[in-house]
Amino acid sequence: MKLEGTTTLPAPVETVWKTINDPEALRRCTPGLTELTATGPDAYAATLTIGIAAVKGTYKGTLTITDKRAPTHCKILLEGTGGAGFMKGEGVLDLEPEGTGTLVKWAGDMQVGGLIAGVGQRMLGGVGKMLVGQFFKCLEQQLGSGA
Amino acid sequence: MKPAAFEYHAPDTVEEAVALLDAHGDQAKVLAGGQSLVPLMNMRLARPAVIVDINRIQTLNYLAEDGGTLALGALCRQRAAERSALVARHCPLLGDALALVGHAQIRNRGTVVGSLAHADPAAELCAVLATLGGTVTAVGPQGTRSIPADELFVSYLTTSLDPRELLTEARFPALPRGTGWAWKEIARRHGDFALAGVGVGLALRGGRIAEARIGLTGVGATPVRAARAERSLVGAVPSDALWEAAAEAVRAEVEPDGDIHASAEYRRHIAGVLTRRALAEALTRAREAA
Amino acid sequence: MSTRYFGARVTRNEDPALLRGHGLFVDDVRVAGVASGAVLRSPHAHARIVGIDARRARTAPGVLAVYTHADLGTLGEPLPKLIPHPTLIHHKTQRALARDTVRYVGEPVAFVVAEDRYAAEDACDLIAVEYEPLPVVATLEAAVAAGAPRVHDDLDTNVCAHYTQRVGHVEDAFARAPHRVRARFVVDRGASCPIETRGVVAAWDPRARHLDVWDSTQAPIPIRNGLARLLGLPEQHVRVVAPDVGGGFGPKIMMFYPEEVLVPFAAMRLGRPVKWIEDRREHLVATNQEREQIHDAEIAVDADGRILGVRTVFLYDSGAYIPYGLIVPIVAATTLPGPYRIPNYHCEFRAVFTNKTTVSPYRGAGRPHGVFVMERLLDQVAADLGLDRAEVRRRNFIQPDEFPYDVGLTYQDNAPLRYDSGDYPACFARALELIGYRDWPARQARARADGRALGCGVACYVEGTGIGPYEGARITVEPSGRVFVATGVGTQGQGHMTSFAQIAADVLGVSPRDVTVHTGDTALFGWGTGTFASRAATVAGNAVALAAQAVRDKTRLVAASLLEALPEEVELADGRVFVRGVPARALPLGEVAQAANPLRFAMPEEWEGPGLEAVRYFAPPQGAFSNGVHACVVEVDVETAMLTISRYVVVHDCGRVINPLIVEGQIHGGVAQGLGGAFWEKLAYDDQAQPLSTTLMDYLLPTAADVPPVEVAHIETPSPLNPLGVKGAGEAGVIPVAAVIAQAVEDALRPLGIHITEAPLSPNRLRQLIVEARRSP
Repeated sequence: MKLEGTTTLPAPVETVWKTINDPEALRRCTPGLTELTATGPDAYAATLTIGIAAVKGTYKGTLTITDKRAPTHCKILLEGTGGAGFMKGEGVLDLEPEGTGTLVKWAGDMQVGGLIAGVGQRMLGGVGKMLVGQFFKCLEQQLGSGA
Repeated sequence: MKPAAFEYHAPDTVEEAVALLDAHGDQAKVLAGGQSLVPLMNMRLARPAVIVDINRIQTLNYLAEDGGTLALGALCRQRAAERSALVARHCPLLGDALALVGHAQIRNRGTVVGSLAHADPAAELCAVLATLGGTVTAVGPQGTRSIPADELFVSYLTTSLDPRELLTEARFPALPRGTGWAWKEIARRHGDFALAGVGVGLALRGGRIAEARIGLTGVGATPVRAARAERSLVGAVPSDALWEAAAEAVRAEVEPDGDIHASAEYRRHIAGVLTRRALAEALTRAREAA
Repeated sequence: MSTRYFGARVTRNEDPALLRGHGLFVDDVRVAGVASGAVLRSPHAHARIVGIDARRARTAPGVLAVYTHADLGTLGEPLPKLIPHPTLIHHKTQRALARDTVRYVGEPVAFVVAEDRYAAEDACDLIAVEYEPLPVVATLEAAVAAGAPRVHDDLDTNVCAHYTQRVGHVEDAFARAPHRVRARFVVDRGASCPIETRGVVAAWDPRARHLDVWDSTQAPIPIRNGLARLLGLPEQHVRVVAPDVGGGFGPKIMMFYPEEVLVPFAAMRLGRPVKWIEDRREHLVATNQEREQIHDAEIAVDADGRILGVRTVFLYDSGAYIPYGLIVPIVAATTLPGPYRIPNYHCEFRAVFTNKTTVSPYRGAGRPHGVFVMERLLDQVAADLGLDRAEVRRRNFIQPDEFPYDVGLTYQDNAPLRYDSGDYPACFARALELIGYRDWPARQARARADGRALGCGVACYVEGTGIGPYEGARITVEPSGRVFVATGVGTQGQGHMTSFAQIAADVLGVSPRDVTVHTGDTALFGWGTGTFASRAATVAGNAVALAAQAVRDKTRLVAASLLEALPEEVELADGRVFVRGVPARALPLGEVAQAANPLRFAMPEEWEGPGLEAVRYFAPPQGAFSNGVHACVVEVDVETAMLTISRYVVVHDCGRVINPLIVEGQIHGGVAQGLGGAFWEKLAYDDQAQPLSTTLMDYLLPTAADVPPVEVAHIETPSPLNPLGVKGAGEAGVIPVAAVIAQAVEDALRPLGIHITEAPLSPNRLRQLIVEARRSP
C-alpha cells in the first residue's frame, strides 16, 4: 500500500535531520514503539504495539535508517512479526527548507500481512496515514519545544 | 476462531461496572450486545484481559422521551429502538437508519449505545448522532459527563472516552415539528456497512430553508457534518439546482478512503448523489408535515 | 417400470431432521475423549522456513502435541497427484505440512492438538516460525512475464501445462471471414463458501486396528482408499463417513487436504480421537478456490452472423499447487462451443502457478468461463452487425435432428465430446417467451422515457454431466418391508435420500417414505468415486434403478413359489407382492424378504443366495449433456451503478426429471452462486498475494435478501445414454449467470455503449465503465 504526503515542521533542515536520526526522538514519536535498542549504527531492535482502540498487535522486529544523504534524504525501514501477522513499512523522507521551517516530503510503502490484512483491509490505508500523521505531529511537538 | 483467555465479570450496577473499569483501565472492555466486540475477540484482533458484561444492569435498559430528546440506555437493543413508537414519532431519522444496521438478528442483540462506543467509520448510528447533534453520557470514577457527537468520535474505532468510563446513555434530539428528514445509503448487500450514507434534516420557513443538517458516514475516519454544504442551503429556496450545488459542496468536503469494494472517487461521487436524493426526499416530508 | 414417483414433486426425506436441527454434521460427531486440533498457517505468500521453535507451545496448558513436517515421516511426502494428463508436466502437490517453503498464505506449517480448540489456538500463538520472505508471484500475468520469480524453484517456469485442442482449420476460417470480433475476458477468483466449512474427526482403535474417520468430503471412498494406502492399513480396517455435509460444491473433493492426513495421523500417534473443524477465516484461505482465468478470444462470422470459427487462448490460475489436474481449464475449453455449430475451433490454455491458494473445481468448474466468453462474443457480433442478439443465437443453434452431435473435442472424462440429445431452439424459445422478449423493446423504451435504465439478457449453455467411471448401489429389503439403498456417492444437499428413494420406490412398488438411502459411508458401500461434475443422479441413480430391478426380479422369483404362480405373473405395488389379476393372493413385501432368508432346510439354487438384495453398477461410456437458457431483467441506477435484478428465469433441460422440487432447488442455489460470481464475490489479494477478503464482511456472499426469486421451467429431452434417460442438474444454475447479467447491463446502458468483459462486476467498476464511456467520443 503506497502512501505519500507532505508536512511542514517548525525548524531548519539541519535540526529536523538531527531529530529524525536521534533514537530518543524515534523512541518517543514512532507510534506504538515500546522498545528500541541500538544494535549497530542506524540500526535498532524494536518492539511495537500498534493498532486502533481494542484492535492491537505486537510486532517484534527492526528499525533501520538507510540511504542517508545528510541533511536532506533518508529511508526509514520498520519491520516486525507478531501473532497478528507481519508488517513492513518503508518511508523515504526528503527535506527542503521552507521559510524558517522545513518542508518534509514523505513517500511510504506499507505492507501488512496475515490476520490484519485479511480482516482489516477496510481501514488499513486510513490507519496507516493516521499513524504517519501521529509520527509527524509528535516530531512537530519535539521541535516546537526546542528539544 | 476462539478468543484468547479473559477474566469475566457481570456486575449488577453501574457503580460496580465503573469500579471494574477503574481497576483494569485499558485492559478491560465492556460487553453489551457483543456484535462488534465478540467477532474481534474470536479473531484475536482484540485480546482484552477483562470483560465487563453489563447485560445484568437492567436500569440501563430504557428508551424514553425527555423533553424533546430521546434517551436510550446502554442496554436498549437496536431492534427495540427500530420498532419503538417513540422513535417513529420523535426521531424517524434514527428509525430509518436503524433498519439498515446489519440484519435483524444482529439488531436483536446489538445496542445503540454500543454502536456509538465502537465508532466504526461506516456505522449508521454514529452519523445519525452527529446529524442530530446528539450527546452521550459517560460515567467514570471522576463522575458523569455529557459528550456531544462532534467531540465523541475521534478516529477509526476510536472515541474520546477514557477506558475507565462507561457509556450509559445516548441522547438523540428530536427534529422540530415540520422538519423533513431522510436517510440514504449505498451498501453492497442488504445489511452491509455503507459505502457511503447520508442523513438529512431540513426545516422550511416561508418557503425558504431555515435549517439544514447533513451528516455522512463511510467517507472518513469519523462521521462528517457537511457544515459548508449546510450553510450554503440556509436561506435559499429549495430547487433541484440547489440540491445539486449542495451535493457538489459535500463532495468537496469529504475525504473518503478507498478499499477493495469501492474507490475513494466512487464514495465521494455517491456521497453527492445520496445527499441530493436525501434532500429531495426530506423536502417532500417537510412539505407533507406543513 | 411404473413412474408413480419418478417425476413427482416429492418433499424431501432428509428435511424433517435437518430442519429440526437433528442432522449429524462432522462437528456434531461425539467421540469420547476427543482432542482438538488447530493449524498454524503461513502468513506469507512465499517464504523459506528458516526455523520453527515450538518449545513454548509444547509445554502450554492443555497441549497434547505440536507437529511439524519433521514429525511426519513418510506422511511428509507430497500428497497424491489426482487426474494426471499428458500435458501436465509439472504436477506439483503440497505436503501435509510445509517442509522448507510456503507458497500461499494459509499453507499449513504446524498442527497443534490440545484438550480444546481454545488451548490449541493459544498454543499456535506460541509457535515461533522464522521466515525468509521470497519474491511473490501475485497475478496470472506476473507469473508468465519474463523473469518472473518462480513459485517452485526447482522449475524454470511457472507454467505447468500447455494444452491445445483443435477442430477444423481455424486460421482459414479467420482469414476468409467477413467479420471478426476479438476481446480479452477476465474472470476473478472466487470461493465456494459452503455454509458448513471443512472438518475431520478421526478415532483409532489400536486393539481392533481400526481407523474411523468422519470427514466433510464429497468423496469418502477415495479418502478411505487413500488413507489406507498412506497409513499402511487394509482398506477393510478404515471406515470413512461423510455424514450430513452442509454443501460441497467441488472444493470438498480432494485427496488429500493436509488436515485429512494430519488428523488421522495425530489420532494414531496420540491414541486419542482428534477433531479439527475449519473456521470461516481458514476456509477463505485454506480451502481450494477457483475462477481465475484470462481469455484472449475471437470469433469469425459471416455477414449473417453465422459462426465460421472461434479461438480462445487463455491463462488458468492453478494457485500454488495443482493436485486436481487440468479439469477446470479443459472443461472451460470444451464448454465454450455450447449449443452452437462451430466448424472451426481452437482452444489453448496454459495452467500457471501463482502464490495463492490452490485451485480445484468449484460448481461450474470452467463451464461459466466458456459460456461467458462465447456469449459475450456473440453479443458483440450482434451489436457490430446490427442483429438482434436472440436471432444471432438462433442462426447458430445445433438443431434437434442433429443428435448425437460430435463437437470434435475430447471432454474431461477423456471421451469424445458428443452431445447425446437436446432441443436448443425450443429451450431458447421458452425462455424468450417467459421473459417477454418480444415486447421487450417497447417496454425498455417506456422505461427509458421515464428515466429508468432497464436491460434484458438471455444466455445459453450446454453442460456436460453424468460422466463415469462408475457408481454402484446395493438395495436390500428387510423383513419389515423397509427398503434400504446404499451407494458410494456422498450427499451435500442434493436430496439423494429422496431422489434415489423415488427410483427404488417405483421399481419395488413402495412409498419413497419407506426407502432409507445411505450415502457416504464406506462401511455400507465401498466402491465409488464421489459426488462431483453433476453426475450422482445420472450415474448412481441408474445404478439404483438397476439394483432395484434385480431385487424386483428376485422378489418375483421368491414370491412365485410362495404364491404358486409364475415369476412373470407377480407384481409389486403399495408395499405388497401379488399375482396379477388376483390382488387377494398377496403378501407384504417384508414377508417375501423374510421368506428369502430361510433359517433351515434347503434353499432353491435359482435364488443364487438369500435375501431380497442386489448390487449393481452403472458405468456410462461418456457424459450426458444437459442444456439451458437463463434470462433476466435488470435495472441499473446509472448514477450509483447499483443493480436491481427484477426477474430471473431459467429454462432447463436435464433429460427426464426425477424430482422437479430438487432440480429447482439445485437451480436456485446455483443461480445464487452465479449471481455472487457476477456481481459480488471476489477474493481480493494485494500485490504481495496477501488475501484481503478473509471474512464474510469482505467476501460478499449474496444473502437471501439479495437474491431475487428464480422462475424455473423444465424441458425434457431424455438421454439415450442411460436407462433412466436422466442427465445432471447440479451445476446448471451457476453456468451462464455472469454472461446473462453482463448482457442485460449492457442492454440497459446501450446508449452509452459500454462493454463488459469481466466478472464479477461491482458498482465501483460499472461506474468506471460508465464514466469512460461518457468520455470517449
